[in-house]
Amino acid sequence: MHIEKSSLIQNLILRTEQNIISAKKFKLLSIEQLNYKSNPEEWSILECLEHLNLYGDYYLPEIEKTMLEQKKQYSSPMFKSGVLGNYFANLMLPKENGQIKKMKSPEDKNPVHSQLSFTTIERFLKQQELLKKLLEQSKTKDLTKLKTPISISKWIKLRLGDTFRFVIYHNQRHIAQAERLLQQ
Amino acid sequence: MKSPATFSNKLLQSIDKIAIKRTLAKGELLLKEGDIERNLYYVSSGALRVFLLTEYEEMTIRFGYEGSFINSLSSFITQKPSEFYIEAIRKTTIQIISKDKLQEIIHQNTESMQEYIALIEALVTQQIEREIDLLTISPAERLKRVLARSPNLFQQIPLKYIASYLRMTPETLSRVRNS
Repeated sequence: MHIEKSSLIQNLILRTEQNIISAKKFKLLSIEQLNYKSNPEEWSILECLEHLNLYGDYYLPEIEKTMLEQKKQYSSPMFKSGVLGNYFANLMLPKENGQIKKMKSPEDKNPVHSQLSFTTIERFLKQQELLKKLLEQSKTKDLTKLKTPISISKWIKLRLGDTFRFVIYHNQRHIAQAERLLQQ
Repeated sequence: MKSPATFSNKLLQSIDKIAIKRTLAKGELLLKEGDIERNLYYVSSGALRVFLLTEYEEMTIRFGYEGSFINSLSSFITQKPSEFYIEAIRKTTIQIISKDKLQEIIHQNTESMQEYIALIEALVTQQIEREIDLLTISPAERLKRVLARSPNLFQQIPLKYIASYLRMTPETLSRVRNS
């Protein structure tokens, strides 16, 4: 991916706004609907959101920290994706035929069997507002040169633009999963 | 806010006459972030907690024990949206007094006014104690300070909320408590 920074950021803000709209719809559901699952190992709507919150707990402070590290005023108006970052980000999106590649969640990001309530949705919404603010701030940052360590290994770093893409595509992935539950 | 010892009197009697009783189920919300706090609550039985929800966690900042008053105080005073949630920790019965009614009562006679002032003063003192709690670095010392004020804390409140109130993990609290 080689793209103008401003159009990438605009695209990611739009995706985040879509996620916010979906999460606000979940607020209208009863706690039974929010906790519904067709089998014990599957996630409920609240568990999908909590899974995203757990990722946000890691990535939002990391992104904030990374952006503070930029000292130079000038930053390139373009963003160029890294090989690994591009791979991870695209892995989160549905395939062209709409299929989703199933994956196993890391143990520490698996919310299954935790006690969740309405605050899970509120917390998700607060994280999305913060994410939007960080995207706004990133307009003056170098999305290619600044790098954030990933959650499973501090030795592997992704370009900031790819980290944003990964986090937001990943949000979309599980929001879509939660919406499929709603249809059941 | 814990009521002073002298509180079983005029103000409480007046409040008792006009208060509206309400029972909350476990986990039920009395107030949400963004709501305006229009009432003062007296906890007849059960327990409540006041918490702040951030992007990263729920932070419990205050408990409402049986026999004490609670509300979202800054919102109650300013009539601006509350930053806090209030939730029933278990099945809880409260007496609700509106701000308007409370104003009427405290202006009825000097005794009620004095008692109201005493209540507010007790609250200010507690807030300062709480500030020192939060500045106390040792987890053991922090727990000791809170237990000195509320000896029955562990009988009334689940560990995870006490841990949040003390700004430590439930694991640390367990360890500190057992040592």
